[in-house]
Amino acid sequence: MANRTYEVMYIVDPETTADRIEKLNEAVGQLVEKQGGTVVRLDDIGIRTLAYPIKKRTEGHYVLFEIDGTGQEIMELERRMRVNDMIMRYITVRIDEDRKKADKMRAKREKRAAQRAKFRATGEEQQQQAEPAAEVQA
Amino acid sequence: MAENDFEPRERESFGGGGGDEGMFGDKAPRRYQRRRPRQVIPDYVDWRDVEFLRQFIPERGKIMPRRISGITAKDQRRLATAIKRARSMALLPYVWE
Repeated sequence: MANRTYEVMYIVDPETTADRIEKLNEAVGQLVEKQGGTVVRLDDIGIRTLAYPIKKRTEGHYVLFEIDGTGQEIMELERRMRVNDMIMRYITVRIDEDRKKADKMRAKREKRAAQRAKFRATGEEQQQQAEPAAEVQA
Repeated sequence: MAENDFEPRERESFGGGGGDEGMFGDKAPRRYQRRRPRQVIPDYVDWRDVEFLRQFIPERGKIMPRRISGITAKDQRRLATAIKRARSMALLPYVWE
């Protein structure tokens, strides 16, 4: 139960001042720590044009968190984000499972590549061994 | 010389499956050539990687069908969820004019 990794991203109204956004990010971090999670990464992406208008705004201030935890802190965080009117939109994605799968796939591919390289090497050796024998016969 | 002229023409009538309309009328099933994927799908499809996801979104903003992109079903599923996530966060549009 314990180790899950989440990506939390939210879009803040671009008209809020920089220090308010900072304060908000700090508050999110504190909330996560209080609930027993850890903030792995905090990425303040900044102002970015939206692909479509949200609440009549064409820009948004994006913030990305990466959080390790149990899921408790996410529940609390989502509840708070829902009622916060600075946050225009948010998303939480659980990423540990997909990452694990990706690692597995990479490991498999590397193993196969290594095996193939080994096989090719032995094949070449055999060829090299075969060649001198042919010369002797000739 | 005459034989050489004849040979390729026959081959043409064999291979050109799309050309013979009228044989089945409107009910002729659409035939698609299997296409090799033009791009490699990474092990972890990141929904924030807009530049990568853009490759699978033609002008209209729709997700490219698998028969066009030629990627595997598994990759298509992962890609579709990534695109949908990106859309909901206004990283990608739902529709383009």
